[in-house]
Amino acid sequence: MSPHKKIVIVGNSAAGIGALESFRSCDRESSLTIISDENRRLYSRCLLSYFLDGSINETGLSFRSDDYLTNLGANFIFNKKVTHVDSEGQVIFCDDDSKFDYDQLLMATGGSPKIPEQIDGKIEGVFVLRTMDDAITIRKSMDNARTAFVLGGGLVGLKAASAFRKSGLDVTVVVRSKHVLSQMIDYDAAQIVMSRLQENGIRVLTQSDIERVESENNKMNGVKVVKYEDDQSNPAEMILSCDILVIAKGVKANVDCIRDTRIECNRGIVTDSEMRTNAENIFAAGDVAETYDVAMEERSINALWTCAIQQGRIAGSNMAGKSRQYDGSLGMNSINFPGVDLISFGAIKGKPDLGFESIVENRPEEGIYKKIILKEGKIKGLILVNKIDNAGVLLSVLRRKIDVVEYKDEILSDYFTYGRLLGSRGQEEMSRYLYAGMNPGRPTNG
Amino acid sequence: MKVITCRIERCLGCKSCEIACSVEHSKTKVLVSAIQEDPLPRQRIRVLNTGIKDGTYRLKSIALQCRHCDEPFCVDACIAGGITKDPETGVVHFNRENCVGCWSCTMVCPFGAIVRLQDGKVAIKCDRCPDRDVPACVEACPTGALVFGEPEEFSILLDEKESDESP
Repeated sequence: MSPHKKIVIVGNSAAGIGALESFRSCDRESSLTIISDENRRLYSRCLLSYFLDGSINETGLSFRSDDYLTNLGANFIFNKKVTHVDSEGQVIFCDDDSKFDYDQLLMATGGSPKIPEQIDGKIEGVFVLRTMDDAITIRKSMDNARTAFVLGGGLVGLKAASAFRKSGLDVTVVVRSKHVLSQMIDYDAAQIVMSRLQENGIRVLTQSDIERVESENNKMNGVKVVKYEDDQSNPAEMILSCDILVIAKGVKANVDCIRDTRIECNRGIVTDSEMRTNAENIFAAGDVAETYDVAMEERSINALWTCAIQQGRIAGSNMAGKSRQYDGSLGMNSINFPGVDLISFGAIKGKPDLGFESIVENRPEEGIYKKIILKEGKIKGLILVNKIDNAGVLLSVLRRKIDVVEYKDEILSDYFTYGRLLGSRGQEEMSRYLYAGMNPGRPTNG
Repeated sequence: MKVITCRIERCLGCKSCEIACSVEHSKTKVLVSAIQEDPLPRQRIRVLNTGIKDGTYRLKSIALQCRHCDEPFCVDACIAGGITKDPETGVVHFNRENCVGCWSCTMVCPFGAIVRLQDGKVAIKCDRCPDRDVPACVEACPTGALVFGEPEEFSILLDEKESDESP
């Protein structure tokens, strides 16, 4: 391959920037173009809720400085949406009829919010919170709003609800399941979270849905909420006044531009452990990429910041001719609201009939909950509420597939720390400790 | 690139390093006044039990702080881009102004070395004492268990450790 290549990255967020950085650390010569369908400089999506409540401003949303990005030598193109990929001709086409040819292409097109079919997203007052433009529009409408509803009790929904509450709005979160964060934590942990939310003035309606948006002249003035009983019978219906509705029902991968190509795609673009797709010279990373989930032991999309950056880094290195392996993705989340610090990861729903066992410490009066999910002696999942400092050690134990049978009685206690691993795993662990800062490669690989 | 290492065979678990670290990161940098500060300064190094028995009633301990990893997970995890690795010094810098307290770094640190500051709003970690030539913890260690030096010195230490352990 000639030393000067044409690199094109579609997507200017976590995965795209991770790829840019790792590519440039190997290759300073090749041309690199980053195409974004937004008309915004780099910003962190995960910070948007902090922008909503005013705790950070527009400049604060950036996660890399302009000078730093300029030095990396990339040609940033904004406001251009890729509509088609020709993997044979190695060309991509954009919505303004422009086209770019490439030697190596990274699809880091991200995801888009799912909007339930009963809701018309075009009605004024109905929002999603995905882009900086979304956040700016929501923030403007907050000035004249009193009541906000959030549909969906996941991370984005609760962060939005928190931001609304902090800004003095009357907030209701509507969730379909029996508790909030149903993808992240179990029922008992959620009881602590929900009581804290309620103490903080956020109303949570569980086993509920928004069936319709009430509007006049295309402007929302209320929502029709239904609340189900356990057996789904006799749902209670109510029409409630609402100024802002945020839909936070998760995201779907942005794969439209490759739908009619031979690039293999399920819910997301299928990637191998080098973040390559089945099409030559095309890589995928981030919220659009389907990867191997190390805890669930199946392929899935983990649309998460950390995963996106790491996948981007692997893709970037491999586009520069290296051969780096991704050790797999993992559902992992951390969250903070007033009174709640929470970290969870992995197979949090592991059921006993599938060979999972769990160790639980539940102290609801202190707001503390810890649960570790094991299978065949290995950690497969973790939930920590309000006692989170040791989460990283346990995450690395999961990733390294360390057998924890000998630690079983102490693993949730303060006594189990990295010191214990070091003390019991001998020279191998000692090298890891000594050389973390010196050797190439991550300390927890291998 | 210099690193701080704790030689387990010498660590008594006296926590002198924890105190020195807290004082170094206090407003006044003097122990008597540091203990009156509100909030109290917090240490970024922790003495941990290793579970190794040393032949007496004691269990051996180790003083652990940020390892300033070569490819740090925390840098990737930070949603605000507030953690950076200095390619020259190897130090992993934590910029508190950027921290929104999301705990992504705490979630991924394999050493458990990034923890919450007492007020619970932001995370803290070892900053390798930017104002000092020798980090406060190393200077305070009364047994010479904590050492600070170049990688070559530590390959010797590792060999020494190996010979210690061989029967």
